[in-house]
Order: sequence, then structure tokens, then C-alpha cells
Amino acid sequence: MTAPAFEEFLSLSVDLTAFEETDLLGTGLAHQYLAKVRDACGEEVVTALLDAYRAARAEATGDDGRPDPRRLDRALRHRVFSDERLGPVARNVIKLWYAGTWYGLPPEWTDCYGARPAAETSTVTAASYQEGLLWRAIAANPPGAKAPGYGSWAQPPRIDPRYRKGQGHDGTG
Amino acid sequence: MYVKFPEGATKRTNPEAAADVVYDAVIVGGGIAGAIIASRLGAAGKSVLILEAGPAEDLTLKGYEGYLDRFYSATSKDNQSPYPVNPNAPMPRGTDARRISPGTPDSSAYLVQSGPFATDTTYTRVLGGTTMHWEAKTPRMLPEDFRTRSLYGVGADWPLTYEDLSPYYNEAEHEIGVSADVEDQSYLGVEFDEGYVFPMKGLPLSYLDRMVAEDVDGMPVELDGVRRELRVRPYPQARNGIPNPGYVPRGAVSTYQVEVGGRCQGNNNCVPLCPVQAKYHAGKTLSLALQSPDVHLVGQAVAYRVHVDEHTRRVTEIEYRRYDKPDSTHFTTERARGRLFVLAANAVENPRLMLASGLPGSNGLVGRNFMDHAYLLAWALLPEVAGTFRGTNCTGGITDLRGGGFRGRQAAFSVDIHNDGWGWARGAPMTDLADLVDAGGRYGESLRQGLVDRVSRQLQLAFMVEVPANPSNRVTVDPAYTDHLGNMRPILTYDLPDYTMRGVAYARQLSKRIFARLGAEDHTRYDPDFWGYAVYGGEGYEIRGGNHLAGTHMMGSDPKTSVVDANQRSWEHSNLYLVGGGSMPTVSTSNVTLTIAALCLRSAAAILAQLDAESAPIRLTSTDTAQARPQEVVL
Repeated sequence: MTAPAFEEFLSLSVDLTAFEETDLLGTGLAHQYLAKVRDACGEEVVTALLDAYRAARAEATGDDGRPDPRRLDRALRHRVFSDERLGPVARNVIKLWYAGTWYGLPPEWTDCYGARPAAETSTVTAASYQEGLLWRAIAANPPGAKAPGYGSWAQPPRIDPRYRKGQGHDGTG
Repeated sequence: MYVKFPEGATKRTNPEAAADVVYDAVIVGGGIAGAIIASRLGAAGKSVLILEAGPAEDLTLKGYEGYLDRFYSATSKDNQSPYPVNPNAPMPRGTDARRISPGTPDSSAYLVQSGPFATDTTYTRVLGGTTMHWEAKTPRMLPEDFRTRSLYGVGADWPLTYEDLSPYYNEAEHEIGVSADVEDQSYLGVEFDEGYVFPMKGLPLSYLDRMVAEDVDGMPVELDGVRRELRVRPYPQARNGIPNPGYVPRGAVSTYQVEVGGRCQGNNNCVPLCPVQAKYHAGKTLSLALQSPDVHLVGQAVAYRVHVDEHTRRVTEIEYRRYDKPDSTHFTTERARGRLFVLAANAVENPRLMLASGLPGSNGLVGRNFMDHAYLLAWALLPEVAGTFRGTNCTGGITDLRGGGFRGRQAAFSVDIHNDGWGWARGAPMTDLADLVDAGGRYGESLRQGLVDRVSRQLQLAFMVEVPANPSNRVTVDPAYTDHLGNMRPILTYDLPDYTMRGVAYARQLSKRIFARLGAEDHTRYDPDFWGYAVYGGEGYEIRGGNHLAGTHMMGSDPKTSVVDANQRSWEHSNLYLVGGGSMPTVSTSNVTLTIAALCLRSAAAILAQLDAESAPIRLTSTDTAQARPQEVVL
């Protein structure tokens, strides 16, 4: 795989998950996840996804060289999430990071763009379940791994106030 | 020290050589019931052969982690997900459950269900049995649970009282290692010996439990003219906590656990597998039993038939099929001979084996009176973030409605507060993730906020409702339904009586009151297409099974109305014991394992007494058995 594609996949993943690049790299799975998306959807789809993402960022970037969150959100919705081919793949990338599971793409997608054996629902590795970001988002451990320690459950959860209801910002990435 | 078997313990017995030995006792099943009896007989110097249907490997760190790895990699994380599929010793799986059309049994999975009510009840056929995946909640039964017929005109009375069983409860709590505090567990007539302490201190309630308790403690409930106040109470748990003086916790299999002492770490994965063996499983007792060189174990040995002497009605041998490999149907027929025989295979497999052997009992009660718990779930969102999905699967609940005069009219229940949110009811949190992303268009910060809002506020109450004995609820066999090895499969006929459904309906009303008191949004909605959908009084409910199998060889004081006596000894076959949940005349509102353990400790004493009383040589008269031989013990 080419290094720029990996860098862009990582950048896309940061925007899709709201976890920092170091968090994503810290899972040790970023390369495997990109490979998984390639196996499941094909090189062409991955290239198109990253192209659309690059275009969305460019569209949202102002004179200061940084993307404006509201404009980026709109550009992602228009160019990626609402796209017949790219939308389901982007949503799958989010779920891959959060759950550690590659979910089978919907039949309307495979009907149009082809079904590959690797596209079926599967865990990528035993570690991917344990590294699911979902658990970190809710300040819990993946059941069966990364135990927090005896009695920890009696304490309040350590959830950043920005993610608690009515206490964060408006929410968009 | 972490739990492991003496090296080679599972391979040291050659099945062919074992066939030439008359053991003091042959035990079918390497779960908690068989393990406890084997350990006590072995300690008394008796020779024992355990037949285990699943593969028998020495319990080691590596082997246990194989289960864990299979769990991590599984896309469906149901309660059998860590355990390999084995067509030669198949097991029911929760995901097998299907709606049953009247008159058409569902035979698509191992457990054939003829309905009318479908259940997702399961058990695990591996060494250690269902204690591998159990949640390990260990409440004692209430004194009134032993006399429900006399007190309430419901179910059957036990031939034992709470006082009779109490010393064995003490012993069982120490055998399996229970964490609880006496002051929390003394209620509704449950009393402890003076000065009694549980082996380990009670596990702390979860933050979620405490949040519920803030509003629920003191909530008044009036039932049949009696007012009571609810409170959130910790459950006793068979998992390692902080030991009380004099008790050394057993188990802990990871090297890390060895260093920190084997305490529960809050993995929130009791079901289907504790990753660090802080939770009790029968391997812990087996590892002790196998210390005795006279305790033998043969795996991949599926009992096929119980042979009985036609004159004496004593059991002469157990014929079993020993398969070469889990994925091959090739097997050899072997036999196990003993002075006494113990069926410890569980409340479905015990009657299955008896009935497949043509031994329904002269009163026809073998397999009848099948019981389980009927679970009703109710789920809501709390007004504030509770940090759901932390802790053991369940640390606390509401137990005030386990007993009382209302049981003359409706079923009692206990209530679990689930630390794993809506997982059981609706597959949370993965379903919430999929919904937020796919339907909600969430990503990034908005997704993180949505997850906290949707998942970390979840409260699920599980009402564990009693099901009284009913002879029509039963396990049968039919030669038309067999497994890969030619063993007849169990057929379950099961329905829920109105008595239970009245308890269910009351539970749902109570859940609404509790949610209102908490200011929680009730999200409970029962799906009419759900396989366990049951309608009562014009309302529909989703009912799930509890895997708390009981009743199929009920104990009693009269041979005409029961299968075994108070020692779990068969009335008809004087050298046969049928042990486990099947002996229980009521399930009431206790998870069954602690009571099974207590009953088996009691039976172990009776078995030892019988072995000593029958020390004279036995005459073997069955046609396919050679002449009587002196007892040989292979060391």
C-alpha cells in the first residue's frame, strides 16, 4: 500500500471517529483496517473514497489553511455520506473502528458494485474487538478484556463532559 | 497458584483398560455436580471414573486462553461463543430459538422443541459444563421455597428443609468461593449460623446500582394486603473478591492474576467467559478431584445407554460411545462398570439418557416437571449518565418479592439490575452503534456524544420469574431424532402456566412504576415476532429462558410421586444417583447452581455411606457382562 493512501486513510478516520491520530495508531490496527477495506471493497472504491475526502477537506479549508468544521461536515455529507457507492463504505469504516467488526455491506451496494468474499461480516483479528473505540467512548472496557480493576465499577464513569448530554458543543465533526 | 490439572490427568486413563475395572463410582458428566461428588469420593480414597462428553484436555493457561481467543474472534458473542462446535456432543445455543408453529416441532437444532412455547435455554457440553459460561450469581433458596405446596398450594414440597440443607450451603459457598456479606443476605427468612462469614467480602454495588438505589430504596409496594419497601441489595457471587480471614481464593489463570491475587477485575464478561478465572467454574473442583490418582477421567465419551439388571434393577454398566475426533463420526463402543453410578449430566441430559435407555420409571416421571426461569426484561434510559457497561454482569438487584403470601396467586421473582445495559434485550451497545451510524448519520464528535447519551444511560431490569413444576412440561426422546453419534436428542415440550404469567404481568407493571420513580424513559417494547412472545391478559411479552434447568427427576419422600429420594438416589435403581437441578422440586427465585452444589455435597456423604454399607462383592448378572470380578483399581 502507498504511504500517502495510508496517511489519508488515517486523516479520514480521525474525522470520522473523533479520536486522535495517536489513539488510532495506538490500536496497532490502522494498516490492517485499510487493508480490510481494500479487500472488502476493492482498490478503486478506496481510491474514490480518499479522493472524495480530499476534495471535501479542500472545499472546507479557508484562507487560514484549516478546515472549518461546519463546512467540512457539509462537504462530507454531500461528497461522501450521501454518495451511493462511498456512503455505505464510510459508515462501515466508522463501525470498523468502533466495533472492530467489518459489517457486511448492504445488498443494494453489493448488487451494484460487486460482492467479494472479504466483504462479509467478520472480525479482522481477535485484537480488533479489544481495540474497538466504542468502549473508550463510553468509558468502559471491551467485555472480556482490558479490565479496569476490582471495584472500579462503583466509581462514576470517566466521561469527558463534552460528550455528556447537553454539555458539549453542537456535535458535528 | 492458578488452576491447572495434574499434568496428564485427562490422558492417564485408557478407556479400554478402564472397562475391566469395577470402579466404586462411575459419574456421567464433568460439570459442577460430577466434579463435587468426584472430589469428595476421591478424597475418601474411592475409585471414580468420570465420563465427559466434551473433549477432555488438561486445564491449562494455554487451553483456557484458546476459549478466550475464540470469544474475541467471534462475530456473535452469545453464551456459547467461546466453545467449539462439536457435532458429537452438540449443545443448544440461544441463537437456535425459533417460533414454533403449532403441531410442528422445531428440530433445526440439537434440542428439538415441540412447544408450544419456544425457549432459548442452553447448556454447555465441555469439561466444566455450564459453569464455564454461567453468570455465577449464588443466592440461597428461601426457607419457604422448600414448602410451596403446603404454604401456597403451588408446585411440590421438598423432602428437605432449609435447615437440612443449610450446612451444605455453607460448604458449597466455600467450595465454589462466594463473595457476599451475611447482613445483606439475611432476608425473607434466610438465616445463617451464628458467626458465619462468607469466604470473601461482598462485591461492591455498581455506580449504576447506586443510582437506582437512590430512588428505589424505600419504594412502597403492596401485594395481597402486605406493604413492603423495596431496596437494592447486592447479590452473592461466585467470583473472587477480598478474602475474609482464613480463606484462600482459588483460581486465576493468567500470569497477571497470579501476581495480583485472582480477584474479579470487572471484565464485565462473566457470561460467556471470565478471562481471568476469577469466576468459579467446575474445573477448579476437578483440578482438586484429579489430585487423587484414583479419580479417572475419560473425555469424548458420550453416554449411550444405562444397563440395568432385570432382576435386581441395579445398574450394571454404562455403555458409551467414544469418538475419535470432534469432527469425525467414528467412535468405539466402550463400557464403564461400577458399584454405584451417578448421572450428573444436567436436567435435560440426565432424563434424555434414562429415557433413551428405556428407563422412564414405573411412575413415568423421568423427564417430567421440567423447569427453568422465565425472564422478562424491561429497559429504559436514566435521566443521567450512569456509566453502564462496567462491573460484573450484575452486582445488585431487588429481591424483596422473592417470597410472601402472594405466591398463592402469582409467581415470585427476583430482579437483576444489568450492568451490561440493554445487551440481552436489544444487543446493545453494538446495535446502538449501528443505529446511530447507519440511520442517525452520526460520525465524529456527534457519534461520541450520541453513544454516551444512548448507551451510558441504559438501565435494564431482568425479572427472573418462577415456573412451578408441571408434569406436562417435559423432556422426551424419539428414535426419529438422533445426533451424529446415534444418540437420541432431547425433545422439549414446554409451556408457561398462568401462575407464571401473572407474575410476568405484575413484573411489567412494577417496572413501569420503578422507571417513573427514577424519572427514566421507558423504552420497553415487546416484538410480536419474537420467538418467545407470550400473550397474557391481552398484553404481549417477550419471555426468555434462564438456563436454570430443573425438575426432570424430582426428589420426594414418596416413590410414587418422585424419581429420587432426598439423597438424589433413584427409588428404582438402588445403586443409581441422578444428581443436579433435575432433583429440585421447585426452582423458585434462586439461580440453581449453588443449590445443586449443596445437594451434591449432601449426596456425596450418602454415596460414601452406601459404598461402605455395600462393601460385600457385587454379583453381576446381566447377560453381556462377564462374571463378577474382584474390584481392580488401576493406579
